[in-house]
Amino acid sequence: MSDIDAGRLVGKAAAPTRRIRFTGPEGRPAASLGSRIVRRSWPPLLAVIITLLLWEVVYLSGWRPSYVLPDPATVLQRTGEMVASGKFWQALGTTMFRAAAGFGLALGIGTLIGLVVSFSRTLRAAIGSMITGLQTMPSIAWFPFAILLFGLSESAILFVVILGAAPSIANGIISGIDDVPKALIRTATVLGARGLSLYRYVVVPAALPAYLSGLKQGWAFAWRSLMAGELLVIIASKPSLGVQLQFHREFADTAGLMSVMIIILVLGMLIDGVLSRVSNGVRARRGMGPVS
Amino acid sequence: MRLGTAGPRGRMPAPHATTERAAISLRGVGKDFRGAAGETVALDSVDLDIDAGDFVCLLGQSGCGKSTLLNLIAGLDSPSRGSIDVGGRRVGMMFQDANLFPWLTVRGNIELALRLSGVPAREFGPRVDELLETVRLPRAASMRPHELSGGMRQRVALARTLAQDCSILLMDEPFAALDAITRDAMHDETERIWLERELTIVFVTHNVRESARLGNRVLVMTPDPGRIDSELRIGLQRPRRMEDPGVADRAADLHRRLSGRNEP
Ligand SMILES: Nc1ncnc2c1ncn2[C@@H]1O[C@H](COP(=O)(O)OP(=O)(O)OP(=O)(O)O)[C@@H](O)[C@H]1O
Ligand SMILES: [Mg+2]
Repeated sequence: MSDIDAGRLVGKAAAPTRRIRFTGPEGRPAASLGSRIVRRSWPPLLAVIITLLLWEVVYLSGWRPSYVLPDPATVLQRTGEMVASGKFWQALGTTMFRAAAGFGLALGIGTLIGLVVSFSRTLRAAIGSMITGLQTMPSIAWFPFAILLFGLSESAILFVVILGAAPSIANGIISGIDDVPKALIRTATVLGARGLSLYRYVVVPAALPAYLSGLKQGWAFAWRSLMAGELLVIIASKPSLGVQLQFHREFADTAGLMSVMIIILVLGMLIDGVLSRVSNGVRARRGMGPVS
Repeated sequence: MRLGTAGPRGRMPAPHATTERAAISLRGVGKDFRGAAGETVALDSVDLDIDAGDFVCLLGQSGCGKSTLLNLIAGLDSPSRGSIDVGGRRVGMMFQDANLFPWLTVRGNIELALRLSGVPAREFGPRVDELLETVRLPRAASMRPHELSGGMRQRVALARTLAQDCSILLMDEPFAALDAITRDAMHDETERIWLERELTIVFVTHNVRESARLGNRVLVMTPDPGRIDSELRIGLQRPRRMEDPGVADRAADLHRRLSGRNEP
């Protein structure tokens, strides 16, 4: 008979069914909240322990005198003391305000440029490669220029932070829009989406995961540029994390210096972690795997 | 080219087949693709008139240009030669792949189609429920596309297609991924919706029996280059079933045409 499918369901004896037991991931029964937290946090914990151990070993080897390279316990104690001081919170406030302002402005500017550029084919050809070029420019190279333009001021720092972060954000949205599957565009077109509604309902949501990766990368660049800026553009009246680094170096206070470094590292990772969570959540809802 | 038919005619005229004006009309349509393997003539000199309210099946082996033809009618591609006229009618299309929007739930996918058809938002809820009932997925509303099986995705795509307000409906192998029972149910629904909304349907399949079950007319296509080779008017009473002897009879005829053995 010409119909191939019709017989498929009927009249075929079912094979004896084998029982399969469904369990949680890795074969264990679904985990409780407590054990989930333990399982998630042990790899970073392990990394911290390894780092501290190596550091301790180097310290004990006597490679550098202890006033140049203190041991972990001393530094961690210093970090504790520092966090308890009001001066630290003032410095942190200045730095985080700059980070928020710079990243926020970069977000707005990068998103706007990305949308406009991806909307127009001509602009895309003209500016697209320039944006990628800007991304490869080490942001510290902008500072002499920024200082000439704005003097030793907040504006000079913000200028470079924005230049560091905005290209990544714009690039994220441009490549996201470029990579929207053509089949989805065609589907939306027959459903009646045109011009702006096509953008609003299909192109932009489809580009969201790439946009969020751009944000993550943008944040990393913003944070680096900000630290470079705070080291180069020192404004006397304003204590900041960068100023504290400089200050501790001038007084050859390695323990203090390393404490500030630890704070900078942890802050950068915390914000990256938040962005990663948002990004992986969006991807998981679409059945996409997490990025790293 | 053998247009016209060898099959028994006129047992029953097509319901609401108003012949006053063709809904879809193709004249000398050809489509070439330039690809890595050089130039492919996907379609060549296709002439076709489809009446408003007709149900036409396109039957042909893989690669003979069925999807290409639908894309041209939908206006997604433009022909290399010839002209296509749908008289300004709104064309809806269901693709060979479900193409659901992965960031929306099943409900969101169908709602978007309603929104783009200008349905007011307060009607979304009941309309979506009704459409999901139609495709027999009443409990899938809050699921995400990646959580569905292939056949379920295809049915959501059908619901989304039916959500739009169109008068011509193009369907590209919509039920190829379904089990026989669900597929039969979908055939009944497609037939019901076609009658109810007085749609013009062009339905692509490579299942001969399906084309005999659904169509008023079945157009048999041949590849290299893609052409419409012959046509069979089914002329059977509706509603039909896959198992009907008449359907089997037409299917056997179509099968002979497809395999190139025209006379038994
Ligand atoms: N975008 C494209 N670029 C190049 N060649 C194409 C393109 N789309 C289709 N073709 C070619 O056109 C021919 C017809 O393709 P089409 O998709 O219309 O076949 P079909 O009849 O729908 O087949 P199937 O039943 O497998 O879906 C094939 O030879 C294919 O290789
Ligand atoms: Mg096809």
